[in-house]
Amino acid sequence: MASDIVAPISLPVPAARTKGAIRRFLEAWPPMVLLGLFWIGLMLTVALLADLITPYSYTALDLRGRLLPPVFMDGSWRHVLGSDELGRDVLSRLVVSIRMSVLIAFGATIISATLGTSLGLLAAHFRGRVEQVVLALVDFQASMPFMIIALSVLAFFGNALPLFIALMGLNGWERYTRIARGLTIAANEQGYANAVRQLGAGPSRIYGLHVLPNIASTLIVTMTLTFPEIILLESGLSFLGLGVQPPMTSLGNMVGYGREYITRAPWIMLTPATVIVLTTLSISLVGDWLRDRLDPTLR
Amino acid sequence: MLRYTLSRLLRAVLTIAAVVTFAFVVLRLSGDPALLIMSVDAPPEAVEAFRKSWGLDQPVWVQYLRYFVQVAHGDFGQSMRDGRPALELVMERVPATLALTLPAFALKLLLGIPAGIYAALHRNRLADRLTMVVSVAGFTVPSFVLALLLVLVFAVNLGWLPSGGAESWRHAILPVITLGLAGAAVLARFTRSAMLEVLGQPYIRAASAKGLTWRRVVTDHALPNAAIPTVTIVGFMVGSLVAGAVVVESVFSWPGVGRLLVVAVANRDLAIVQTILLVIAATMVCANLVVDMLYGWIDPRLRTTRAAEA
Repeated sequence: MASDIVAPISLPVPAARTKGAIRRFLEAWPPMVLLGLFWIGLMLTVALLADLITPYSYTALDLRGRLLPPVFMDGSWRHVLGSDELGRDVLSRLVVSIRMSVLIAFGATIISATLGTSLGLLAAHFRGRVEQVVLALVDFQASMPFMIIALSVLAFFGNALPLFIALMGLNGWERYTRIARGLTIAANEQGYANAVRQLGAGPSRIYGLHVLPNIASTLIVTMTLTFPEIILLESGLSFLGLGVQPPMTSLGNMVGYGREYITRAPWIMLTPATVIVLTTLSISLVGDWLRDRLDPTLR
Repeated sequence: MLRYTLSRLLRAVLTIAAVVTFAFVVLRLSGDPALLIMSVDAPPEAVEAFRKSWGLDQPVWVQYLRYFVQVAHGDFGQSMRDGRPALELVMERVPATLALTLPAFALKLLLGIPAGIYAALHRNRLADRLTMVVSVAGFTVPSFVLALLLVLVFAVNLGWLPSGGAESWRHAILPVITLGLAGAAVLARFTRSAMLEVLGQPYIRAASAKGLTWRRVVTDHALPNAAIPTVTIVGFMVGSLVAGAVVVESVFSWPGVGRLLVVAVANRDLAIVQTILLVIAATMVCANLVVDMLYGWIDPRLRTTRAAEA
């Protein structure tokens, strides 16, 4: 008798608990964010393993197999994503392009974060005239569309990959400077920075070991917000034929050349375009989510 | 108000000076102009004479000042391709660019702001969710992809509109839509969050509590306050419009300044690039000035306090 009463009551408890656990998990990790993380992971894997994945060399010509449609448009499995106007395998080119675009975006993000944060710390440390100069630079950078600055630099100096990456690294540094400066000024007023200073620590120790770790989360969120911008900028310039130069290839490059074949072979253009959109979308979603989790003040 | 205006004007002049300096520095860093223009095996005397006639033998700061004077006189040098004055070449392309950017700007405002306000007033309803989804798509889809998709659908598949060129007003439809849509999405998202923030303020509750109709609360109290941050973003949009025009004009082979810039960069026609850089900088500075003036007009607090600080 007693077991009859106990059993039905005790059963739903673990069920409810698991349901709550799933719900809690989904609240902390929304499905869209999980998909975004999955896609970013996939892109990074592809970028790292590019040489192992590509079925053909990305420059290998196959003049008898030009403009072959991909599998999902009744093509053959020989070229899964079809082939382009010179019979080059679109999948192989896509993989190599992903590696190039990821490399540029990573390099540029690191440059821009380092440069911007250092300038912000300098401004906050010295104040006075140094700060005025830095802020004037920030105003200048923010007042011109960066695409135009990038185009003029490319016109004046010509194009080489290291220069191009460095140039992309100048995009958006002013945001890190603004944030780093503001937060460092605030941190300098706080007890911990003062305590370390009283203990006799030099500026590099105070900023490197104490202030920077405390403001890092906001800076990391800013990185996730500028990363897609750099991908868009790089692909835009490459699309115009002014970014990554052939024989190298990037996602924007593929769209730019595929555009000539938009009527006969739209897949050449649509595949890299889809990758660009999914990647920027994923990073934006993950970035928004990170921002909400790490730093409610940035909203 | 006069002091506020003056401080903004001063800042505008400084920004222009910074851009001129930037142009001068990259121009000088990019190599010796004498060697760029004359052939490599030109006799040294000829190179020397060229330097002298263009003042390149002077100290850098004299060259710098001279450059400023030239620019102030509207002398931007000649195009290396056809030898015509660069400013003239750029100016004849301006109307075509305005023909795209002005309607696109209007489209942005007319779509973006009402959509953002509507979404904020119907928070978490279907319309709000839809607006947000579209606006996320708006800034993750690059303009060249959007342009090519529109070409694929409306020019290639349906055959309703031409895919490029500038013969009639019908040629402008796809470029204007491309330019307008992306910005409208960003603007909608921004307007929505500005509006939501204002709607959460105590004075909105006070206004409803004193018995105003919801319509009056929104039009008299919420909208004017949400307008302040929105005006800032509209100022920034001028920049993205210019950058967008570069891409969109290239995709649709529209004979505007953006297309000219891309061709000039590809050919390394420095005089043209430099002229466009300065013209765009002047446009941006004027746009920011207008925004600052609008600020003073929308937000009376700024006329007194901020001007004293600046």
